[in-house]
Amino acid sequence: MNSISVKSEFILSGNIGEKIWDSIKSGLILVDSEGKVLLWNDWIAQHSGIPAESALNHLLGSLFPDGLTASFKTALKSVLQHKLPIILSNALHRSPLPLYPLPATQRKQDRMQQSIIITPIVTSEKKRLCLIQVTDASISLKRERVLKSHSERLSKKATTDGLTGAYNRRFFDERFTAEFGRAQRQSAPLSLIMLDVDFFKNYNDRYGHPAGDKVLISVVKALSSQLNRPTDVVVRYGGEEFIVILPDSKSEGSQIIAEKLRVAVSNLNIPHSESKVADHVTVSVGVATYQPDTDCNAACFLEAADTALYSAKHDGRNCVRHLVTPECGRYCPDTPQANSPD
Amino acid sequence: MNSLSELQMDALTEIFNIGAGRAASSLSEIVGEEVKLSVPRVQLYQSSEINADVLSLNSPRLGAVKQSFSGPFDADAMLLFTEDRALEIVHDMMGSQVGIEDVAEYEQEAMCELGNIILNACLSSMADVLDLTLDSSLPVYSVGATDALLRQIVSEANQPVMLVLHIDLAIEKRHSQGYLVFLLSSSSLQKLLVHVDRFISGI
Repeated sequence: MNSISVKSEFILSGNIGEKIWDSIKSGLILVDSEGKVLLWNDWIAQHSGIPAESALNHLLGSLFPDGLTASFKTALKSVLQHKLPIILSNALHRSPLPLYPLPATQRKQDRMQQSIIITPIVTSEKKRLCLIQVTDASISLKRERVLKSHSERLSKKATTDGLTGAYNRRFFDERFTAEFGRAQRQSAPLSLIMLDVDFFKNYNDRYGHPAGDKVLISVVKALSSQLNRPTDVVVRYGGEEFIVILPDSKSEGSQIIAEKLRVAVSNLNIPHSESKVADHVTVSVGVATYQPDTDCNAACFLEAADTALYSAKHDGRNCVRHLVTPECGRYCPDTPQANSPD
Repeated sequence: MNSLSELQMDALTEIFNIGAGRAASSLSEIVGEEVKLSVPRVQLYQSSEINADVLSLNSPRLGAVKQSFSGPFDADAMLLFTEDRALEIVHDMMGSQVGIEDVAEYEQEAMCELGNIILNACLSSMADVLDLTLDSSLPVYSVGATDALLRQIVSEANQPVMLVLHIDLAIEKRHSQGYLVFLLSSSSLQKLLVHVDRFISGI
């Protein structure tokens, strides 16, 4: 008898109400305090494959062969008991009800991703009912995913060099600050390798800029091929100048890698008739290693790498030179004299 | 005078711990692990006194789940976590199926549900123990700069009194501190205290 009196309440409000809920593009189920279905809109009928005639006046749990999930039952009970509205998020529940994306004629589909809201309704006769609203969460999930892949692509664009695909200066500034801060906090070593293509201006003059671009691309490939850890990154720092950040690398290790990088570029064997050190393209390499617990700051450390590169060029190019940070005080004007090893 | 006696404070702490216990069992059911939730302390503040330092929310960004409820007294109930905590909680609740970097996608919804569970549990235990009926809106989640969000919370509510519950949530051995805040008018606070006193004299 309960359900009839309740239904008549709806009918009294005109069948406008019925037309509205059947037009709504989300699911509406109304149940009474026993869990008996009083309203089952078209959307729910379509996506569950259960027509309203079969659902009305039946217990909600009995309509589905597998019954209701534990969390759904708890939520329903709790709404009736405490009269407080409840959310079942898609994030934590995925697909509480056996609903399917397409009109549920064929059952070989995956369940629809759902977001569910259950609100208490008290009738004028003080009867406690529950309104269950179901929305298809897959649309917003898809939108989130599209936005995420867009933003990933954009941030990749914003941090890489268009020509070589290496990371760019902007990326370096952020990553270097972060890695240096981490090295200081955790008293971990950190190394920087700075490389410069030898006589690159002469190469461009002799072979043309398009050929010069190809050299830069090949150099980045050669450098990347020598780095195994995902945290070791190649950055195009300026025209023909590159930097490799090596977190947690001590001086011995970083010198070995620096030498591997130098050899890898040399082994490309790209003819360079205008080079004064070889008949092919080579690089000069400067390595700096941050020794934990020294007073060196980030700018001073970067300066040390630059100084090491300068030494490599000064000493005849196509070679590796190395500096560790306590020595850098000599070269870095920012460092107080007291910290200088002299 | 807006202040609480020790007895009133104890009664409220007890009521909210009943709620915390209920919330913990619902959360455990979802997470499939033991979830512990407790309310070690309840304090009363004037809204004007509230800032990030008072609540020791040392993070640039804050997440807040809000439900407004009404009944014998009205209040805005809010669950506050720093955003990095919120993301960790969501990650713990979702389990290993989702990487920590993908959690932000679900933050909004999952935090709404977490807030809903904890707020409902506290409201329902208050309603049960004090024998009253409360209605509540659906939860709304907002994230923003800590100071700005706190200022907005205080000014929007236009309610001078804040009942602040310290919350300790433990999922899989990770402890997260948060706050449950009730913003009330002075008259709503007085009405709440009338019910609390009635409860105290009844035991």
